[in-house]
Order: sequence, then C-alpha cells, then structure tokens
Amino acid sequence: MRAVPALDVIAVDVAILGSGAAGLMATRHAVAAGPGLRVALVSKGLVGRSGCSIMALGINAALGADDSPAIHFEDIIRGGAFLSDQGLAAVLSDDSPSVIRELSDDLGCAFDRTADGTVRLSPFAGQSRDRKVSHGHMTGLEIVNRLRDDLLRSRPIELADHRALDLLVDDDGVCGVVVLDARRGRPLLLATPVVVLAMGGSAAASYRVATPAREKSGDGLAMALRAGLPLRDMEMVQFLSVGLAAGGSKVTGVLLEESLRFAGATLLDGHGERFMLQHDPERAERAPRDVVAAAAYATIRDGLGTEDGAVLLDCRPIGRATLDERFGDIVARIRLTGIDPATEPVPIAPAAHIGIGGVVIGEHGETELPGLLAAGEDAGGVHGASWTGGNGIAESTVFGRRAGRRAAELARERGPARPSTTAADEVIARVWAPLADAPAGPAPWALADELRDLAWDHVGLRRDDAELRAARYQIGTIRAAAATIRVAGDAAANLAWQEVLDLDSRLTTMEAVVTAALARTESRGVHIRRDHPARDDASWLRTVVVRGQPGSLSPTTVPLTFARLAPDADRAGDT
Amino acid sequence: MATSGTAVRVEVARSHPDAQRAFVVAREDAHVILDLLCEIGRQDPSLYYRYSCRSGFCGTCTVLLDGRAVLACQTVVPDGGGTVHLAPLGGFPVVRDLVVDPAPFAERWEAVGARLSVAPASPVPFDGQEGTESAGPGPRPLDPAGRDVIEPSLDCISCGACFAACDLSALDRAFLGPAALTRAMVVIADPRDTHPADRLVAIGGPDGVEGCHGIGACSLACPKGLDPARAIRRLRRWRVRGHA
Repeated sequence: MRAVPALDVIAVDVAILGSGAAGLMATRHAVAAGPGLRVALVSKGLVGRSGCSIMALGINAALGADDSPAIHFEDIIRGGAFLSDQGLAAVLSDDSPSVIRELSDDLGCAFDRTADGTVRLSPFAGQSRDRKVSHGHMTGLEIVNRLRDDLLRSRPIELADHRALDLLVDDDGVCGVVVLDARRGRPLLLATPVVVLAMGGSAAASYRVATPAREKSGDGLAMALRAGLPLRDMEMVQFLSVGLAAGGSKVTGVLLEESLRFAGATLLDGHGERFMLQHDPERAERAPRDVVAAAAYATIRDGLGTEDGAVLLDCRPIGRATLDERFGDIVARIRLTGIDPATEPVPIAPAAHIGIGGVVIGEHGETELPGLLAAGEDAGGVHGASWTGGNGIAESTVFGRRAGRRAAELARERGPARPSTTAADEVIARVWAPLADAPAGPAPWALADELRDLAWDHVGLRRDDAELRAARYQIGTIRAAAATIRVAGDAAANLAWQEVLDLDSRLTTMEAVVTAALARTESRGVHIRRDHPARDDASWLRTVVVRGQPGSLSPTTVPLTFARLAPDADRAGDT
Repeated sequence: MATSGTAVRVEVARSHPDAQRAFVVAREDAHVILDLLCEIGRQDPSLYYRYSCRSGFCGTCTVLLDGRAVLACQTVVPDGGGTVHLAPLGGFPVVRDLVVDPAPFAERWEAVGARLSVAPASPVPFDGQEGTESAGPGPRPLDPAGRDVIEPSLDCISCGACFAACDLSALDRAFLGPAALTRAMVVIADPRDTHPADRLVAIGGPDGVEGCHGIGACSLACPKGLDPARAIRRLRRWRVRGHA
C-alpha cells in the first residue's frame, strides 16, 4: 500500500451524492428549502455530465385532458405486475405534473409544444394515455442542462471527479461520507448529518451488453449495503430489446430505437429465420419490448444467434429513405460499426438498461438510517417488476425534489455531525490497499469482463436455480481474485485503481441481484425463471429484500400491501 | 507507418516525458476512437482519458484526432494510411494526458448568466405539503413563434470542441466564446426571460460578440450541428436593432 495523503475534512449540512437529474434536483431544493445551509454536490465524473439522465428520451406526466395521476398510477402498478410500493408509485404519478411545470416554467426546459403553445404529449410504450413530455430525442440532456445551470443560482460546493467511498454512521445515524478526489488522489471526509444517495446505482452496467454510462458501477448500492441498509427488488433488471452488438467495442450496448421494430424491421436468428414468428406469431416483431427482449435472449442463449452471440435486426424493409428521414441518429450510430443498415442486417442483443431495485425508501426518500435519503435509481420500489420508458427520469426528478426538501429539514433537525476520523481512516486504508509499487494479480478490467459475461449468461432474461447458483459461486471466485489485485502508480488520476474500486461495487450489486433472483421462485415482470415459469400470486405477492455484508448477502421476503389497487385474479394481461 | 488491415498505429500525446506514446491496437472490435483509448489504457494503465455515456450525449470524451476536435465515441477509426494522432483538447489546462480541466468553459458559461431568469423568483415557495402541488394546469403555454431561433441552438453537450476551435477563446482568456454566447442567445430569445436587455449589454464589447472575428471555426467544429457563429451574428444584430 502506498502512503495515504492527509485527510481533508469539510463540514457541510447536506451532502448530495450524484449529479444526474436526481442529485441536481435534490441540490436545487435543499438550497431552496434551507437557505444558508452548506450543501456539497459530489459527482463521480463531471457535474451534470455523468450517468444516464442525459440520455433519457422522455418524461411522463399525467397532463392530458383524458389523463390523471390515478390512470398513470394504474399503468405503473399493472406494468410492474403489482410489485411496486403503491405509496411510492402514487408519489410519482401525483408529483410529476408539477415537476414538469417546474422544469418548464422555472428552469426554462424547452419541451416540445403543440401549435397552440401547450406542451406536446406523445405516446410511449406501456402508457395507456399520451403522457410523454419530450425535447426531441434530447429530453434528458435538456433537463440536466437546465438543472446544471440552476447551480449558478444555488451555488453548492461542487466536487467533480470525486468518488464517494463509504458512509460513516454513529449512534444518531449518518454522520459523514468518505470521498476520494480521484483527479488528485486525495481522501476527503465530508462531515454531514444528511446524505442524499443519488448515484444511479444498479447492476445493469455490469452486463456484457448494457446501455448505462461508465460511472454506473453501483457504488451507492454497495455503500448502502455496507452501512447495513436493505435493498428491495434487486432481481428486477430491465433489458431493452435492441442494443448494438459490436463485440468488444465500447459501442456495444448503445441503444437503437425500439420503434425500428414497429417501422418494419424484422429480427433474424443466425440462420436468417424470423424467430419472433415462433415466440409470438401474431405480433412478431411488433410484440412488447419485454417479450422481444426475452425471445432474442433465448435465441442467443440456445446457440441460434450469430457466431458472435447476437441476433440480427434487418432494417432493409424500412428502406433507405425512411431510415435516413426518421432514424438518422440511429443510422449514424449503426454506421459507427461499419454497417449500413439500409443494405445489411445489424447485429443486436438485448441490453441491460436499468436496475429497478434499490434502497428501501419512504415517500420523502427517507431510509432506515437516520439522515440518509435515497432518490432515483439508487432507490427501489417505484416500478415494481418492470419499468416503462419515461418513468425513469420522472422518478429521478420527483424523488430528487422530495429528498432535497427533506434533506434541508433534516439538516436543521439533526445539527452538525462529528464523525470519527478513525472510522474514515479505516475506509481509506481499505480503499488504498490495492495501490502498490508494482502491479500484481489479475488485471481489473479482465475480471470486470468476466463478471459482465457471467451476468449476461446466467443472470439475464432466462434464469434458473442452477445457473444462479453457478453465478453466485463465480462472483465469489472473482471477488477472491480481485482481492489479490495490485495496481501501480500513485493515487492521482489512476484509472486502473478506479477500475478496481468499480469492480468491488459491481460484484456487490450483482451478488444482490443473484441473491434476490434465487429467492424469487416464480416469474414476474422482467424476472424470468425457466424452472418457475408462471407468475405465482398465491405465494409471491411479496418483495424480496436483501441485506448483509458483501460476500454474505441474504434475502428475506416481505408481503406487499395494496393500499390503492389489488391484483384481480380474473384480469387477463397482468403478467 | 501505415495502418494495416489488422492493426492501427496510434501516437498519443502524454504529460509525462517518459510515458509511452506509440501504440499498436488490433483493428478487430476497434470501431471508434474510444475503443483505441480503452485498448491503449489496458496496454498502459497509466494513460488518463475520460468518457461516460458512449452515445454522444455527455461530451466528455472530446480529444484531438489528427488535430481536429472529435467525440471519441462518435468517430470512426480512420481507415488506411498513416498513424492516428491523439492529443488533449486545445485551449484548456491539461490535467494529465488526454484529460483537460473544463473550468475555462464553465467560467464563460457562468459569465453570460446562462440560467433563465423568470418571475416569480424560483423555485416556487414550498408550502410544506407534498402532493398538493399536483393539482393545477400544465406548464404555461409558450408562443411557438421564435422557437425556430431557440430550438436548433439548445442541445449543447459542453464538449468544448467549439471553444478549442476558436483561436480567440483559446488565446484570449476573457473572450466569452462560442458556446456561452450561444447559450446567451437562447436565453435572450426566450420570451420567459425577465432580463434580456441587461443580457444584451453584458454580452457586448470586445470580450463579447464584438470580439468575434466571424471566421466560423466553432460552427464547423460542433459535433451536434449547432451553429454558434450564427448565434453570435444574431446577438450582434439584436444589440443594434433590439430583439423581437
């Protein structure tokens, strides 16, 4: 281990971890609700330029004359196969109209308008009413840009390229967060009575084919587990049906548009057969996203895909003119891999996109640990067993706002924190351990690739007990190998070291997914068990909660309550 | 040395004088410049480079490819002939290797007051009762007239390519530069903004729109097709004739 630089300590009233839509919204509202509070905004990458919020296509809100929060709520509950926390789902549907007003009228977001100047509402898969608010294809970017510009008014302490390492806890709850300035290689202790976890945590980024941004290794969820917090619904990992498959290239997993399937593209297996005709003869390629993703996954896993483990999206039926006119951005993305979609089929695979599960929260983002709040993808419970497009950044903004307001209240109630620097030193010693004068052990990226492969193969869209057990075992093996990694260089700007730290979080979040997936012996939403293929409402109107220390996580189940809408046994389509 | 069919030769500008600069990367699976960076990073883990979204949204992987600012994730590895030269974006302090400090960009952005000012002071005071806000109408309607000025200038990803391409920004520490002035134009054109006249004064002068020499390198450099040179011409016009 290399010498650790002296620990810097900064006392703040609120520390917000993550600079996506949830973290930026929390910052804005913590400052607004608590003028004079010292708020720190910690971002693993550049502020407002990390994570996945900027890539969101649209944001749902019940604003139409034929719509209401109650209808939006019902779409969430039925789409999520009744696994949602209904209180949280109601918060999402109730609050999102006023979030849209705020984003538009206060922050200036240029949402698309109709001819009469009102906000345009578009259809989105899984929504029974037109409620997608967008700004072209750049909705998330526009929202995050405006929220980032709001920092010019709210003026938090911005800590870019700072990686959150661990929460510090005393008898009164959270009392600090240990942070690494990854650019300069210096440890920092934020002494704070309130922390908002908004780091976009999920295991989705740890799949071979995956859409999320680089930062998303699940650090927030791993921190939460180490602090003893429960995670719910971790088995629910949402895949999209059409991710680019380009072998080891970084563009693998980059999203193409689901709507290509509805515009006439067909899906072919490795032999040129339209496999959707087997899986869903009536709707074929026009089947819902989850059906197509599962069918493509099964085709690949059965060895019926291409030699490279993909299936083919044949866009030729759409024709070059329409492709260029309607899907110009997507054509450009495909062409990065040297393929012209107008003349040849495009290798694709289902891509892991979002982790539905996360920290158990209440309606204001509060967790079991006093002073700790969670919002956005780090939190669980809103989407149930399947997420629908447009509800992701809605969740981030709605719960980010609530968590920010609650954070300001809590900061006043709880008063200044006095964390022990000894506890911080222990965290720092653990984190600094892999830094050495010479490299040793396996390369961190090789182990990360191993994890991505095993996740895609065994923890994907067709699971069974044996494969999940194999996955759990292999995660343990990789964890043991990871403990032997030593990377050279000093602590500043050391990407190999950062990869080691990422790997640790990835292993923990994937272990949580496997633990929960083993426990849920039924199929529901995106959790598909080959050995338990049916949804089992008699036994499984329960949520799986995982907790424990990395390497020994364990599941319990908690019965769901249905305060507003109960599953009706005779209703078709609740699968 | 020519690029063969199976391998790419890459020369990388490094901060440390003893660091390795020349690399050979297998062509297989190396579709975009970012793939070269990741592979070189495996060959030499001391290389410092940046990326995030891999989809052209975050603007953080901008590098100079043979002297031209590009998004590494959106730029195909050149085919045939010659060594590929990669260097950090010009006009910014280099943190290490290919990573620059975006502070000069952010300072200009701040200097133009990029945030829209609206009445009443935002955010709307919170009454302490969550959930009660859901009642009420959608966002205020907005006259579609004038949106054609704003819309094409909105989707700035803060990649810094225009800033690096502009010799005034890169050399003159005070010049507000193409991205920030584009943002100013967007805010001034927005009918909801309460201070457009003040803003038009603030972005004038030799450090503002009058300093622009009009060469238009910024617009050529923008990977998202924004047209900062046109935005600056608009601002100049509005300063003389007032904006509609």
